[in-house]
Amino acid sequence: MIDTVTKNYFIGEFMSYQVTYTDSNIVKSVPLNEDNTDYQVIQQWIADGGTVIDNGA
Amino acid sequence: MAYIGRTPTPAALTASDITDGIISTAKIADNAVTEPKTAWNDVPYRNIIINGDMSQSQRATSTSSVATNGYHACDRFRLAKGDSTAVVTISQATDVPTGEGFFNSFKVDVTTEDASFVAADNILIQQKMEGQMLQHLKKGTANAESLTLSFWVKSTKTGTYIASLYDRDNSRLISKSYTVSVSDTWEEKSVTFAGDTTGALGNDNGASLDVWWWLGAGSNYTSGTLATSWESSTSANHAVGQVNSLDSTSNDFLITGIQLEVGTSASDFEFLPYDVNLQRCFRYFEHIAANNTFIGMGGSYLADYVGLHRYCTPKRGTPSITQVSGTDYFRIYTGTSVSFDSFTIAYASQHGCLLYAQPTMTDNLVGWFTCNNASAKIALEAEL
Repeated sequence: MIDTVTKNYFIGEFMSYQVTYTDSNIVKSVPLNEDNTDYQVIQQWIADGGTVIDNGA
Repeated sequence: MAYIGRTPTPAALTASDITDGIISTAKIADNAVTEPKTAWNDVPYRNIIINGDMSQSQRATSTSSVATNGYHACDRFRLAKGDSTAVVTISQATDVPTGEGFFNSFKVDVTTEDASFVAADNILIQQKMEGQMLQHLKKGTANAESLTLSFWVKSTKTGTYIASLYDRDNSRLISKSYTVSVSDTWEEKSVTFAGDTTGALGNDNGASLDVWWWLGAGSNYTSGTLATSWESSTSANHAVGQVNSLDSTSNDFLITGIQLEVGTSASDFEFLPYDVNLQRCFRYFEHIAANNTFIGMGGSYLADYVGLHRYCTPKRGTPSITQVSGTDYFRIYTGTSVSFDSFTIAYASQHGCLLYAQPTMTDNLVGWFTCNNASAKIALEAEL
């Protein structure tokens, strides 16, 4: 289960999401690509009310 | 031939009537021996299933306390779990059928039972397959191919089990039952699914067709009539008759030697070389490094440290980085070595990506990344 989703910036450009999971030491870095199943899960999590952390570039 | 007197009584020709070597190749017409008359299917790569011998297990050889969906051990095999309170350990086991050439199996060990499924409960093992890998099945045409699924299974719980094919592109399903006859004993099973003349599979890298091995199902999946012919998916028809193999912590379910092939009969399992099997798994998951091993070379750019990573094989799609992370689990060795907790991915494609970390570096340093903890892991994941 997703715990947090944070936007990643590289050289000022939004490149990926960093995802942590409840009760887990797994961290995923997820590209912005619709073929990626982790990306699809994030989009569903957002649609279900999850809030993405954006610390800026 | 003409005879004088009585016609001889016809006698059946037997193998002993044919002397070795008397029928030369030249005496057999090129089109005389058709495929149905050959005893076995020798088509290379006939097994549509990847890692059917369970020999690859890049993520882990055992994961305990599994209560959610996911890939936990053997590559390409996923545990799908809805609502059930059962908790299991998933492992790449060495318990295999004797003398069949297998060295590993996929094992589900029940550690917390779910003896009374509620309606929405379900738990199954699945492999999802890309549509572009399946166009030869001609699904959705008048020439749709039949498929035969064969495997070895060993389960504590005897009784009726269900195996299904699920067409994700068209929400269609077919299920077949098989019986585990003897508790905790390896048995070989085979079921054949008719070709489906309705619903073509997408010719792309998305999940088009699943194979499911049900382990347990609530009434939402068992209250109808088993869909033994292809039909528009109706949950109640998915797993009618399926036993609850999760009703005791004494229960184990093991499976190996899985083959899905075109045709109406099962051929011998197609063993691929170990490295070929691993290469096929890399398309979906690629272990990069663990413990204190080398990850890659790179250099600092402004305050970030970046490294190029070319994959061992092109991925199904743009992958995620999956990492076991913690404080200072990774390290950059340069003139001033710095530890950090996790990597980030950028400029990713199916062929390569940039791995970067932001531990605040000095610009223009060259060095290398390593794991910096015995538990650290990093991998690429492009699963379905």
